[in-house]
Amino acid sequence: MHIMEGFLPHPWWEAWYALSLPVVVYGIYRMNQLVKERRETLPLLALAGAFIFVLSSLKLPSVTGSCSHPTGAGMGAILFGPAITAVLCLVVLVYQALFLAHGGLTTLGANLFSMGIAGPAVAYLIYRSAGKLKLNFYISIFLAVTVADLATYIVTSLQLALAFPSATGGVVGSFYAFGAIFAVTQIPLAILEGVVIALIFKYIIQVKGDVMVRLRVIDEKRLGELKGAIPA
Amino acid sequence: MHPSILDDYALKSPLRHKNSRLKLAIVAAALLVGISSTSPVAPLFIALTMSFASIRLGEVPAGFYAKLLAPPLAFALFGTAVILLFFGSGPEIFSFSLLGQSLGATVEGAELSLLVLSRTVSGTSCLFFLALTTPMVELFALLKGLRIPDSLVELSMMIYRYIFVLLEVAISMTHAQAMRLGYDGFLRSIRSFSMMAGTLFIRSWEQGERLCTAMDARCYDGRLSLFEEKRPVKAQELLGACGYVAAIAALAYLTRGTALI
Repeated sequence: MHIMEGFLPHPWWEAWYALSLPVVVYGIYRMNQLVKERRETLPLLALAGAFIFVLSSLKLPSVTGSCSHPTGAGMGAILFGPAITAVLCLVVLVYQALFLAHGGLTTLGANLFSMGIAGPAVAYLIYRSAGKLKLNFYISIFLAVTVADLATYIVTSLQLALAFPSATGGVVGSFYAFGAIFAVTQIPLAILEGVVIALIFKYIIQVKGDVMVRLRVIDEKRLGELKGAIPA
Repeated sequence: MHPSILDDYALKSPLRHKNSRLKLAIVAAALLVGISSTSPVAPLFIALTMSFASIRLGEVPAGFYAKLLAPPLAFALFGTAVILLFFGSGPEIFSFSLLGQSLGATVEGAELSLLVLSRTVSGTSCLFFLALTTPMVELFALLKGLRIPDSLVELSMMIYRYIFVLLEVAISMTHAQAMRLGYDGFLRSIRSFSMMAGTLFIRSWEQGERLCTAMDARCYDGRLSLFEEKRPVKAQELLGACGYVAAIAALAYLTRGTALI
């Protein structure tokens, strides 16, 4: 969910920039480390970034009829971890602002924080803890992506509420207002995206499961179990 | 169904051949003035002048421009409606009750929502001006000059290149699925969409591996050198840009705190 260019007033857009910046710097540092270790990382990450952009610019079949785009950020977090996903999301968000007029440059910090940092961090945490709990692989992906989407939506509502507190209820009041309005489209979309990403992982594992092992998303043993479970 | 990407228009724009630093500077200044203005007058003026510049100087068809502006505008109206209903105190303009809750708009709320709306429109038109006149390829060289880490610029360049490749693959796959009634019905659409996206990921991964080999074969060392065309700024253009920025800054200063309601 993108916040429009010019929507956030003075201290807030700068504040979200300040919050996002350290994460991006750390992400770039991590990325440089990986690139130094294995040189093929950069092209592969670039293709993953392009994939996220394309995924987010395609329309999902949607119930509500609204314009709904899967974000792909949750998927990025599961594949590459949250720090690198933040860097990928930064590039994708700039392109979305410049090519599709989604989001903007002054609101880039806020959008990056909600979609590229908070969401992926939640997705990563849930996926990793679900793995420890030995939950079904696809259910854990569904949970990670759906909850990450919801987290993004809650953070966006909070960002708007902090910038525009309501006269009677303050920040909390307007948080409920923004939250309630966006809930209509965002909750079904979050569930839909969870289902879609889980299915995407199913197809990837069927055809090219070794990529998942190389990215340390799952180990060799788990891959064998998952492949055995899918009737060919 | 090809998503319209603004970059396509930028490549054809007559303003493409102007200095990209100058364009970026004008847009950045206009964005900042628009967002820090406390009255809707200056943002609306910026929106008008930026749209005029895109349409007249950038030769973007007016109808197409209006179509571009519609979805962000609709979203902005949606957001400002919330501000209108929940913000502000003072004399009420109107109120009604919905599901047992009374909602209403006050003068203060109306002023704020108008201000936010004007800032959004102004910001969006600045963004459109940049997007419609400056192709991304021109900005890469500029980014390298701005001391942005090399790896980030390299990553952006490769992402940029492959967006178009993958988009084409995605579109032809979707067409093929649609031909076979893959998008008939909701559940089937979800299945088809996921299958397409999964295949797209695998395709992009393999493409990435091939890209590594190709770049290694050409001795890639983590830095693609760019050829930046020299486009000197004419004194006239610089003067015009400074004049414009000074004018909008002065307008924002003079009309500070002015409300339209």
